[in-house]
Amino acid sequence: MATVTLKNAKKQFGAVEIIKGIDLSVADGEFCVFVGPSGCGKSTLLRMIAGLEDFTSGSLQIGGKEMAKVESADRGVAMVFQSYALYPHMTVKQNIGFGLKMTGHSLADIEGRTKRAADMLQLEPLLDRKPSQLSGGQRQRVAIGRAIVRNPEVFLFDEPLSNLDAALRVQMRIQIGKLHHDLKATMIYVTHDQVEAMTMADKIVVLHAGRIEQVGSPLELYHRPNNMFVAGFIGSPKMNFVNVEAGTGSSLKLPGGGTVKIDGMKAKLSGKLTLGIRPEHVELAKKTADANVSTVVRAAEYLGSETMFYVTLPDGTEAAVKADGLAKTQVGDTLLLHFPPKACHVFDPDGKTLHNGDLSK
Amino acid sequence: MFPRPIEKSAPWVGIAYKVFLPIALILWLLPLIGIAITSVRPASDLASGNYFGMPSGFAFVENYSSVFKNSNIGWYILNSFRVTIPTVIGAVALSCLTGYALAVYKFKSNLFVFFLFVAGNFVPFQILAIPVRDLTLKMGLYDTMTGLVLFHVAFQTGFCTLFMRNFMKALPFALIESARVEGVNEFKIFWHIVLPLVRPAMAALAVLIFTFIWNDYFWATVMAQSADVRPVTAGMNELKGQYKVAWELISAAAIVAALPPVAMFFLMQKHFIAGLTLGATKG
Ligand SMILES: Nc1ncnc2c1ncn2[C@@H]1O[C@H](COP(=O)(O)OP(=O)(O)OP(=O)(O)O)[C@@H](O)[C@H]1O
Ligand SMILES: [Mg+2]
Repeated sequence: MATVTLKNAKKQFGAVEIIKGIDLSVADGEFCVFVGPSGCGKSTLLRMIAGLEDFTSGSLQIGGKEMAKVESADRGVAMVFQSYALYPHMTVKQNIGFGLKMTGHSLADIEGRTKRAADMLQLEPLLDRKPSQLSGGQRQRVAIGRAIVRNPEVFLFDEPLSNLDAALRVQMRIQIGKLHHDLKATMIYVTHDQVEAMTMADKIVVLHAGRIEQVGSPLELYHRPNNMFVAGFIGSPKMNFVNVEAGTGSSLKLPGGGTVKIDGMKAKLSGKLTLGIRPEHVELAKKTADANVSTVVRAAEYLGSETMFYVTLPDGTEAAVKADGLAKTQVGDTLLLHFPPKACHVFDPDGKTLHNGDLSK
Repeated sequence: MFPRPIEKSAPWVGIAYKVFLPIALILWLLPLIGIAITSVRPASDLASGNYFGMPSGFAFVENYSSVFKNSNIGWYILNSFRVTIPTVIGAVALSCLTGYALAVYKFKSNLFVFFLFVAGNFVPFQILAIPVRDLTLKMGLYDTMTGLVLFHVAFQTGFCTLFMRNFMKALPFALIESARVEGVNEFKIFWHIVLPLVRPAMAALAVLIFTFIWNDYFWATVMAQSADVRPVTAGMNELKGQYKVAWELISAAAIVAALPPVAMFFLMQKHFIAGLTLGATKG
């Protein structure tokens, strides 16, 4: 069975180091998602696992066997490309069977596997069409079908849904989730999309500039980010960051003179720090006495179920607040905010986490 | 809509278009029309100096049949085919292979090799005439079909490689990578994926090279001497006659000799379907 293990994997293009030493272990049958900003090396890392890029140094093991020097075809991986990469001159059926045919599988075997994949992905009515006669979502399903028939131990997806519209994306997301459940194969999935990462992953790997920032389950990353980068990257709308100064004990001085006292603070605080709090955890205060900070509303989005306020703190910091749909505050009004201490994260000047709030308390 | 239909533009544009188009067309076709008319002119017209006037009769059958009777032109046309077809096959096949290597593989001297192929096109072949003739003589290839074909292939491969390489480079590379991950070996990728997708380019190249080689006069005279090897371009000389130039016969022969490239064009036309890669990627 197939675990995927990377040890100190590095990749250089010319003199530029793109992947700067990745250690990662993906368990058998796990759904692992790589996220990170554009250009951070997600695709490159995936292509290294697929065997489409050489390792500059480091090792890759798939199912316990060393693979860094093994041909792509012998790694037991299948890759679904962002661009689908369907062969335009072949029908859907030929596309799905091509790899098997070229590697000497019997016709009956190809037929059987194609049928199984077509069943799983509802492709039967399309088998005799050419890729140019398919919609985007159908092409994507064919590309996935082409991966399935090879019975790979590891599936690699490089932003497979990014060319689809929102509704289709939701549908395909569910379909891939189901596929993972049915096949129980290891899957590594690259995406830009927060929601895809949060909903599909067993494990999320946050990459930044060729390094891993943090690895963990979606909720772990949401609740206990290791650093400011992960805190800001996971969650949408993104976490608010407020410049604060350490006060006495475990209290923090907010802009505008308010303070917030952090419970259960272990680290000793001093100097300038950053306080992080998610828009959905900020509360609106009714009276000045309850408020930590007084802000001015710059923009408001009334969505019915909720209202998003974009506010400016006294020191000019901008922040977002998610309030319930009944909030009536208008643009230009003053909005009093309360920061519940158990929702506050504290970061040192280097962006390392000093304290994660614990909402369950 | 683009381009805008001519009917919808200003009246003077429409008029200018209707006046100048036929003029341009006639100017452009004049040499061809001249030859076509000359080829059916009775010999007496030319003897009496009627080169450009109305023909006094219609001597199609006489002229064209005498071309075949008075010269070995049939044999020379066959020779032309024997040179052209192997050259087209050889040059296109070779350039598909070199083009694939240069388009798909990353190796150190890739660009350098590619530039060599391109640079070869800039060498004026006239300066090569004497060295090539010496070389063929030494190799025992002078005045043979093999020699002619080999040298044509060598001279055409540079351009063909440039053409095929650029065409293959434009294919979505993910197609090749996807096949590699599937375990398809390199030659099968070339054969089953790349070749079918560059078919329009191959067809265009085949027509082009066919025309080049068919119309070649230079190498045909440098490298061939005997009637066994002489292609139709060189063979037409025979019709010049001993005492006078039989223009009507030369024109008729020229028209006959021009037919195969035209036929080739129409034969290959259905392969020029562009946009075959549509639907390979996102859409
Ligand atoms: N063949 C190459 N040669 C040189 N640099 C490359 C090559 N391929 C990728 N890079 C560089 O490596 C970096 C990472 O690229 P990569 O495609 O892995 O990013 P990514 O995280 O997938 O981004 P995106 O989310 O935009 O797809 C980029 O800065 C890119 O410019
Ligand atoms: Mg990418």
